[in-house]
Amino acid sequence: MNYVDLLALLPVLILALGSVVILMVGAWYRHWRNLLLGGIGIALLAALTAAFCPPPVVEVANLYSAGPYARFFTMIWSLLVALVLLLSLRYGKERRFDGGVYAALILFSAVGMSLLSAATSLIGVFLGLEAYTLVLYILIVFDRESTAGAEAGLKYLVMGAVATGFMAFGIALIYVGAGTFHLPEAFTAAMVDGHLRPYTLLGWAMLLVAIGFKISLVPFHLWTPDVYQGAPAPVGGLLATGSKGAVVAAFAALYFGSGSAGTEIETLLWMLSAVTMLVGTFNALVQRNLKRLLAFSSVVHMGYLLIAFLAGGPEGFSSIVFYLVVYTAATLGCFAVIASFSNADSEPQDEKDLQGLGYRYAFRGALLSVFLISLAGLPPTAGFIGKFGIFAAAIKHDQLVLALIGVFASLVSVYYYLRVVIVMYLADVDPKHALHPGCRSEYLVLFFCLIAVLLLGIYPGPLLDLTTLLVK
Amino acid sequence: MDPSIATYPDFPWLTLLLVLPLAGALLCWLHRHRPEECRWYALAATLAVFVLSVWIFVVMPQEGVRWFLYEDAAWIDRFGIRYTLGLDGLSLLMIALAAFLQVIAVLISWPVKKHVPLFFILILLMETGVLGVFLALDLVLFYVFWEVMLIPMFLLIGIWGCERRIYAAIKFFLYTLAGSLLMLLGIMALYWIHGEQTGVYTFALSALRQTELSSTASFWLYGSFMIAFIIKVPLFPFHTWLPDAHAEAPTAGSLDLTGLLLKTGAYAMLRFGFTLFPEMAQKSLPLLATLALIGLYHAAWVSYLQKDAKRLVAYSSISHLGLVIVGFAAWNVTALEGSILLMVAHGISTGAMFVLIAMLEARTTTRNLDELGGLWHCAPVLSAFLLLFAMASLGLPGFGNFTGEILVLIGAFKSHPLWAVLAMAGVVFSAAYMLRMVRRTIWGPSGKLAICHDLTIREYLVLVPMAIILIWIGLYPATFLEPLHETAVYLLNDPVAVKLAGGGR
Repeated sequence: MNYVDLLALLPVLILALGSVVILMVGAWYRHWRNLLLGGIGIALLAALTAAFCPPPVVEVANLYSAGPYARFFTMIWSLLVALVLLLSLRYGKERRFDGGVYAALILFSAVGMSLLSAATSLIGVFLGLEAYTLVLYILIVFDRESTAGAEAGLKYLVMGAVATGFMAFGIALIYVGAGTFHLPEAFTAAMVDGHLRPYTLLGWAMLLVAIGFKISLVPFHLWTPDVYQGAPAPVGGLLATGSKGAVVAAFAALYFGSGSAGTEIETLLWMLSAVTMLVGTFNALVQRNLKRLLAFSSVVHMGYLLIAFLAGGPEGFSSIVFYLVVYTAATLGCFAVIASFSNADSEPQDEKDLQGLGYRYAFRGALLSVFLISLAGLPPTAGFIGKFGIFAAAIKHDQLVLALIGVFASLVSVYYYLRVVIVMYLADVDPKHALHPGCRSEYLVLFFCLIAVLLLGIYPGPLLDLTTLLVK
Repeated sequence: MDPSIATYPDFPWLTLLLVLPLAGALLCWLHRHRPEECRWYALAATLAVFVLSVWIFVVMPQEGVRWFLYEDAAWIDRFGIRYTLGLDGLSLLMIALAAFLQVIAVLISWPVKKHVPLFFILILLMETGVLGVFLALDLVLFYVFWEVMLIPMFLLIGIWGCERRIYAAIKFFLYTLAGSLLMLLGIMALYWIHGEQTGVYTFALSALRQTELSSTASFWLYGSFMIAFIIKVPLFPFHTWLPDAHAEAPTAGSLDLTGLLLKTGAYAMLRFGFTLFPEMAQKSLPLLATLALIGLYHAAWVSYLQKDAKRLVAYSSISHLGLVIVGFAAWNVTALEGSILLMVAHGISTGAMFVLIAMLEARTTTRNLDELGGLWHCAPVLSAFLLLFAMASLGLPGFGNFTGEILVLIGAFKSHPLWAVLAMAGVVFSAAYMLRMVRRTIWGPSGKLAICHDLTIREYLVLVPMAIILIWIGLYPATFLEPLHETAVYLLNDPVAVKLAGGGR
């Protein structure tokens, strides 16, 4: 590795080194607020570098890409962790989180997510994934007072370990077939007469299982609601957006880059997509807890994304990238609303906590409605354009049945998202519950998400063009 | 620029039309802590839209021009989606109706006490959605506005409705959304088919209508569009959401539902359904007429049996819309003009009925016909208005509804005498249920009465303009038919349609 390689990896290095520095400083200097602000600064710096500092080479050490696709996701995940840190300013202070450790871990999760989205080798995929999964094990149980957090952490740990096992074994099998870890050769070299060798196919399937665990496809989704419910709200936001988005981004690069290897598992993906959408939808219908609802909503959204995988083509690929951004903004917004309502000892997430909330806290009630409407995919929010892209790609490439299932799932999803809106606005006001009035940093996060959701809904042109460029 | 487009002043009047309610909504949001002011902002915004639409109505119509006003700008290039708005005779009437009824809706909502700012914000947002539907000429833009109407209406029913409001709101929402999502798939399929044929990927109505479709494809696509529109109109058997929504909605909600939302369904059939798939449309006309006639009789019958005055009027609405669709199905200029005129007249007369029932309810605390009666003694003017609008509704000559109905019947008789005869007989039913309602409320022994006073000034302000316009349409329909005529001819005499109909009638 030489200077040029380091320069190509600069944004990730900034995140990683920054994380270490903050960890060290935090050991002596225990000022919560300044440590977090430092973390935010580092994340923003990394985002700026990723956006404006062109890399001298496109691939580093045969492991990671520094191309536009990788840089784009590095930027998005850096911004994401900056927002998550901003969101934690009050939340973590009231719970006496350790500033240095917390900021360092969150930054390091961005390192993992960026590396994963940039991976051009199966080893790179493994390293990136493990880098941030390890961090998340700790972050989920960061609130030591919370028993639900401990339960969530244990669940995530066990499931994560199983997934890691599958992934490692899968990678090993693929290596046996091709003799290389590098993508896409790992797949193309294993092709015989246009089909994958059996070993490689088995490896591919095991890789798919690991991915299924991470992005909670049915039937690997069972951990999701408990973990979301137990994790601290800002960490939950990170889990639901970045930790899944990075896997999807890596999977998309792998799937679309490996040529006809993708078609080998099409039937499997088709079934996963259909089952994920349907089971997720029906489970979401009966949830009475906002965080659990968001968990099943994320399951369904991953099902929609699989439609775009199957649709294929540049339309499918670019719609995945666009959808990830839109989904991230809206979901983070929902978790931000929850975090901003949290008091030192509680998070409002049950239906009864939300009753009449739309009137007592008009601004945040309206915002939560907008985010949910975006998740439901109704215009004029960004969610509509995102779904539009996916369904348009699906219809173009004759995935009509999946598109119909997707439409059905969207239709039902409107019901469970609007249920929350109904509770906020239609139920009678219950004045007993006093929620936190929120503070400026939280409003800033909310505002950012709102702008993203509305702007991408009304004027999505630039980002759509960008995503088309990225996938070329 | 297309020569068929008028080049009146180069100002985005149509965008202004859409932005004014939004600006009103923003003002309401900014002043949400002073609810009394919000009412005035809402009134100002709706009045501004109304004045602008009247001005457009008076100034814009020109001879020999397809679009009186037209705006076009790139919106989402990646998918070829454009921001295209166009105003022709059909949109013009619908815009004027919407603008007028929204002023009325704000006026009758003056006494709303609960969450006032939000109420007016929603009314204004819905106005933008409805106006957008009547103007959009790009299918995705149209779809966006079509959905934007939904959420405000959902919340209006859900927050300010009566007892079973949440049930009604969700039923309304899911019914309409199911239809429109299918339509979205249809829109996308049409987009790809057109793109593959011509290499130009666009959602523009004018381009997509030239797509050549196999008969299977056009069957499914036409179906996916029409289901959405039929649910909205609503035609039998997709009408069951309507009585619930009407019965539970607040007065302004009922008024908007009947006056605007139902009209968007019928409008979209003409603008999109029939235009995009002329061949399939021709084939489907008998089916549409059959559904419309079944609905006409069924709804009239059910209406006759209602105890709740509001449900009675709601069912009457379905019945009248049936006649409108019969007019479409007759497929000639006379009937089409009649249908469109009837849509306007029905919006006003039925809207007025809902307003009057709300006024009644405010005085008697009930809408149950069994508990009402003898109203004439305590509120003669109110009763007189009730009688007047009931007469208009049942099609008494001199009122707008009669003009519309007679044109529909004449037109239908020319092409399909049987439909005309059946529709004519159905109209008689409306006399039955309307007169029954009037008899039970105005005359008879005195019923329940909480407070007894006649109309207030605000209520006069609401009712008198409605009556005037209704009589105007009845006595001198030319004002409204003139700008419409060329558009009606154009809608029917599409080159494609003319060829099919054997040279045009």
